[in-house]
Amino acid sequence: MNSSISRRNVLRTAGNGFGAIAAEWLLQRDATAAIAPKAKSVIFLFMVGAPSSMDLFDPKPALKKYEGQPLPASFGKVGGQFTDGSNPLLASPWEFKKYGQSGMPVSSLMPNLAECVDDICFVRSFYTESVVHAPAMYQVHTGRVLMGYPSMGSWVTYGLGSATDNLPAYVVMPQPEGTPEGGTPCWGSAFLPAVHQGTLLRPGPSPILHLKPPAGVTPERQRRTIDLIQQMNQIDTAPGDNEMAARIASYELAFKMQTSAPEAVDIAKEPEHIRRMYGIGEKRTQDFGTRCLLARRMVERGVRFVQIYSGGGPVSIQWDAHSHLKANHEKMCGLTDQPVAALLKDLKQRGLLDTTLVIWGSEFGRLPTSESGNGRDHNMHGYTMWFAGGGVKGGQTIGETDEFGLRGVGERYHMRDFHATILHLLGLDQHKLWYLHNGRHEKLTDFGGTPIAKVYT
Amino acid sequence: MKRLLVPILCFGLLQADPRVDPKEEALVAKRRNYWAFLPPVRTAIPAGQHPIDFLEPAQRPLLDKPHLIRRLTLDLTGLPPTNFEGTYTQAIDRLMASPRYGERWAQKWLDIVRYADTNGFELDAERPHSWRYRDYVIKSFNANKPYNEFLREQIAGDEIHPGNAEALVATGFLRAGPRHVVGGNQDEEQNRQEDLIEMTHAISASFMGMTMNCARCHNHKFDPILQADYYRLQAILASTQFREVQIVDGDAMLATDTRQARHDALIKPIEDEIKNIEKPFREQFRVEKLPTLDKQFRDALDIPKEKRSEDQKRLAKEADRQLSPTWDEVVALIPPDLKAKRAALRQKIHAINMDEPDPAPHAYAAITVDQAQPTHILKVGDPRMKQQEVAAGLPLVLSKDLGNFSSDPRGRRTGLANWLTDSTHPLTARVMVNRIWQFRMGKGIVTTMNDFGALGARPTNLKLLDWLATEFIQSGWNIRHIDRLILTSKAYQQQALQRRRMDADSLRDSVLGVSGMLNLKMYGKPVKTPIEPEIYDIIFTEGEPDNLWPLPKDKSEMYRRTIYVLNRRTIRLPLLMNFDQPDTMSSCPERPTSTHALQGLTMLNSDFMQEQAKAFAARTKGSVERAYQLALGRSPSAAELLQAKDFFSKGGSAEDFALAMFNRNEFIYLP
Repeated sequence: MNSSISRRNVLRTAGNGFGAIAAEWLLQRDATAAIAPKAKSVIFLFMVGAPSSMDLFDPKPALKKYEGQPLPASFGKVGGQFTDGSNPLLASPWEFKKYGQSGMPVSSLMPNLAECVDDICFVRSFYTESVVHAPAMYQVHTGRVLMGYPSMGSWVTYGLGSATDNLPAYVVMPQPEGTPEGGTPCWGSAFLPAVHQGTLLRPGPSPILHLKPPAGVTPERQRRTIDLIQQMNQIDTAPGDNEMAARIASYELAFKMQTSAPEAVDIAKEPEHIRRMYGIGEKRTQDFGTRCLLARRMVERGVRFVQIYSGGGPVSIQWDAHSHLKANHEKMCGLTDQPVAALLKDLKQRGLLDTTLVIWGSEFGRLPTSESGNGRDHNMHGYTMWFAGGGVKGGQTIGETDEFGLRGVGERYHMRDFHATILHLLGLDQHKLWYLHNGRHEKLTDFGGTPIAKVYT
Repeated sequence: MKRLLVPILCFGLLQADPRVDPKEEALVAKRRNYWAFLPPVRTAIPAGQHPIDFLEPAQRPLLDKPHLIRRLTLDLTGLPPTNFEGTYTQAIDRLMASPRYGERWAQKWLDIVRYADTNGFELDAERPHSWRYRDYVIKSFNANKPYNEFLREQIAGDEIHPGNAEALVATGFLRAGPRHVVGGNQDEEQNRQEDLIEMTHAISASFMGMTMNCARCHNHKFDPILQADYYRLQAILASTQFREVQIVDGDAMLATDTRQARHDALIKPIEDEIKNIEKPFREQFRVEKLPTLDKQFRDALDIPKEKRSEDQKRLAKEADRQLSPTWDEVVALIPPDLKAKRAALRQKIHAINMDEPDPAPHAYAAITVDQAQPTHILKVGDPRMKQQEVAAGLPLVLSKDLGNFSSDPRGRRTGLANWLTDSTHPLTARVMVNRIWQFRMGKGIVTTMNDFGALGARPTNLKLLDWLATEFIQSGWNIRHIDRLILTSKAYQQQALQRRRMDADSLRDSVLGVSGMLNLKMYGKPVKTPIEPEIYDIIFTEGEPDNLWPLPKDKSEMYRRTIYVLNRRTIRLPLLMNFDQPDTMSSCPERPTSTHALQGLTMLNSDFMQEQAKAFAARTKGSVERAYQLALGRSPSAAELLQAKDFFSKGGSAEDFALAMFNRNEFIYLP
């Protein structure tokens, strides 16, 4: 059933430079897979610096009860990046309430998202292998704590190809103030061909790097140059030379993209009520709202994988609340709560949520103990990420953490399981989605993860 | 320390070796007859025949000479030809004598050893001395250094040639890969393990063509490589540490210190001025923030320092941290005029830093220290899950007595290097001649250049591979000799079945060569070239994002060959990245070729290409003939002249014509 992926793998190892590979951005269409796909595209909302689960989605009354006291000795040694868990427990400054028909608890930090809980599946017991931002970011993006492995979006476009001729299959929208700590490898294609790299997308007239000719070069003039190149290439190209044909096609795509990409990011065309819904026009939510709205427009146009970062650059614009947890999370939630909720509601009202998997996550969570008195250090042992849409069964919580929210207990989920779940929802078999690199069948889930079946059944 | 006699011959002798676990021996014994572990067999070549023409006859007619010279020049130098004179073999001699030959080969070698100028990971700091290794590689290829010596220097130069700076620089090979350098609580054992992993992978991928890395967590699933073999190789490196070793005398060091002190003295007063500007606003931040602190912190601060209890000390320390602003919080408080003044002062510092003296020369080296850390087999590769201890040793399948290493921490890498360069080693020569073949022909004889194991490809022509391997050793590991044999074969000179695209580096260099802007200066510190604002924005920093990418004062530096351009692991230049420049995170034995729309956009619209097209147009002075000669080494056909005329008559500009010449397939693909 999954022969198309295997066949493609064979082609790839058989010949880099094979014409069919070269043209895959254009030619590769949805691959049939052994598993019926539930989602066609993915929007990955990544909260840089790590939000605190116990202050957002995983209420821990024990923190209040034992506030100021140390973690009981029975919890053993705790390794944050900067603290060792010996600081006193810090209660959550926020109240939790239950929402929706499902009664999912959400803290007062996210009043808008709280309205969407019936569409959301919270997984509270993810854990990861590094307590340092960049390696942990690599793990959640690429499956390894090391640099040098293809990002999830690259694997997905490699497996499924593109559903658009006019836009890149995989786009990335970082925080305007700066890049996340993991940097470009978070959307890099590593050893996969460069065509699978995430393409940076930004609002405005030139959303893609080098999209527009320099000032003074009109579209007509550029067209004339491309025509000349194509005439030259017709002379240069032998019939049946796939790679040369792919090159010719790639210039046509480049030219088409010059009109399709600015159109795709032109949110002025959106009705006023939609823009307001995303918080566009308000200083606080303008940026993230715009990027969420762009994500919806990308998915509508067939973009396969959209990655959005909340946070990046200066520490004050990250979720990394080593001190001043209250001020930090109020700010970061203020920037994102309304836009994220709007994205879910908007996708739903357009019937797009069924086929769009929305993921909200981060590289790790935060400790129940304090740092600098009023902040929290990193916690890799247990934290919450959530899924919505794309075949996900909403209004439920999977997994749990201990009474203080330090470690996942019972069913704990590794990043491999996170990736296996996403591939499964996209109809990709994690074991068949491989690429032979330096003698090894490299896969996103490496030794293999277990899809979290409760997420979708 | 001599190793590997032909395994079959020494079977009886070594069977009794007490260091070898019989269970391990049983696992690998039957697999020793795998083709790649058997010695190469040399086929006899009929007198007067070119050995390659005999073993791999050409399938297609030969390419005409102008096209052949273009292919040859691009292959040997990474630049388009400017000289078509003389015979083909004279051209080979001329090009091999050019310093460009070593630069081109070095680029290939740096791909294999995943060299870059920075650490990678979030901070991705520049390595101030690692470029000497890059220069060492260029010089080695230009000097036609015998491959066995080249290998020995890179694996064990510090041990084999003590006191020799060049050999010390060569060990930069062992630390060419990425390294995670970050603050905070560090797991030293994990970090050390990562260094060992990088070294082991580099050695096995680059020189052995074996995927030892697959045996880190368990016995290799396809090859007779045991998990114990993997950790025995790590044990060879257990006494190896990364060091920057001074390679000039004390006087030179002192002179550098003096220069640095003079430089620092220029910066200091400006820094003080900035501090003075910021001071009241840092204080303002503190004063405004103080009331928002929890009472316990304020109370702790109110208690005089000397009277604070332990707990109050901690609270006060935490309070201080809560009251310390980040740079952007300070800047946000400064009024516009002072902010401008502060920015100007920072600019002044950046300007002075352009002339910061170079640090005293050091080798970015790996050296042997007196103590070898004990090495354990690690369950699933995890340093927290130690299993039995292992001693230094070679892979059992290739070395029945595991190499007979002593417990001396010194000389272990020398032992490894000697074994690899022993003339009876079945892999070393095969792996390298296969790389030379792949470099010139596009495909290896074994198409998986870093994997000669069971999962790798079988040689398409084992006789050819073996003949080249034995010839390589007999010639004294002479790279240029094998290279020349390939280039003079008809197999190389025949018409292409599938044309090869220039790689990213050749493409950039060729554009510069044709535009006339190429600066051929060799060696030295890596240079920064201009980057787009969009790329500047993705440089990670939590600090103030000014001056993250200072360009050289001398603009001509920005037009040097790509091998001298700063190769930063997290910031890839779009032109190079789009044309499949490797990510330098793992060994890249052959660059992939992908074709996509971003290439066209960059090749048409980037500032670099626009600038180059202008320069090229100016160089041709409007002559279509000259444009063809410079870019393609030939005259335009009548149809092409007409095509050009038509383009200009419709108002096409000379710059756009030049741009089209750079974008056409004939320019970007080798004949």
